[in-house]
Amino acid sequence: MTIWWLVLILAALGSAGIAFIWLAVRIGNSGGPAAHDPTASLEDAANRDVEHIFNQEFREELRNRGRLHFEKIIGENAMFLQQDLRLTTSQLNEYMKTEITTKLTEEFDKYEQSIMDAKQLAIESIQKTNAAIDEQRAALSQQVQQEILTEKQQLLERFENRMADVVNHYVLEAIGNQIDLNDQLEYILTELETNKQSIIQDIQNGT
Amino acid sequence: MEHRDLRLPVLVVRPGDLGRLVRELAVIDDRLLQLKLRQAGSEVKLPKTTQLMDQLIALNGLNLLQVGDRDWLIEALGAIKDHAPVLNISFSVDPSPVFMGKLMTWLRREIHPFVLVNIGLQPNIAAGCVVRTTNQVFDFTLRRNFAQKRDMLRQALIAPPAGTPVPEVNR
Repeated sequence: MTIWWLVLILAALGSAGIAFIWLAVRIGNSGGPAAHDPTASLEDAANRDVEHIFNQEFREELRNRGRLHFEKIIGENAMFLQQDLRLTTSQLNEYMKTEITTKLTEEFDKYEQSIMDAKQLAIESIQKTNAAIDEQRAALSQQVQQEILTEKQQLLERFENRMADVVNHYVLEAIGNQIDLNDQLEYILTELETNKQSIIQDIQNGT
Repeated sequence: MEHRDLRLPVLVVRPGDLGRLVRELAVIDDRLLQLKLRQAGSEVKLPKTTQLMDQLIALNGLNLLQVGDRDWLIEALGAIKDHAPVLNISFSVDPSPVFMGKLMTWLRREIHPFVLVNIGLQPNIAAGCVVRTTNQVFDFTLRRNFAQKRDMLRQALIAPPAGTPVPEVNR
């Protein structure tokens, strides 16, 4: 490490010596032609003044000022652009918000209207269905009542007929064998008398 | 004298009774013919007659010893047997002779003088009788009478008697 530092220091000293020698040679060569031509000397003097006025520092100063001015303009424009961009963004946001709100409101209104229409249709359909069900129920109830009445009437008639048959059968079974045939003679003769002409007519036709 | 002048006793009810009279009369006629042809001195044995034949002879004032009366009676009974109207009468029980006598008296007075009756039994008719002629059936039974008056019976059963409280029906 120490050796490398040493080499580096020696190299730096060598380079500084070489630069000093080159500078001295250069300064020694610049004083020779002016002694020969005065015009050339003036031009050289003017050039030296120009070089003296607009020297490297002055130019650097101008560059720095120009750079700063340019940076300032760039910064201002950037600021204006940023403000415009922010304003535009804000307006765009407002516009989007307004448009979206309007669209959403319209869509919600349409959606609500559609829901209301569908609800109204559903209510009307339900009301019609209820009315139809009520009518059907009333008709069915009336029909059932009519059928019940008819069935009841038929049952009553059947019962009445059967009741008369039962009573007749009971009476015939109860007293049928208890009636003496001689007691029936008057009844039989009365019936024969009633149908005498029919019997005579049939006998005459038959024989 | 024609066979229409013959009077049938009320005991002659069925065609079978008339057939028996015809057969009995034929037997009597044969027997009397044999007696007529008998040899002198042989035993005379007169044929016996049934009660039915006795009534027939007495009712018509006939003398079967007379050939003419026998022939007329045979012819009359034959004609009646062939042409007499026959009624079929059904009763619930077997009728007594007295009942049939009264019935036959009325039938021969009102319907036809030579009417004959076939008697049938139908216990289910209970009371009355069913008379069947050649082409018709006359139902004189109590069952038919009840059936005809069934509406009246039904009304009587349905309508409560006057003054009877009507029970309330729980619904």
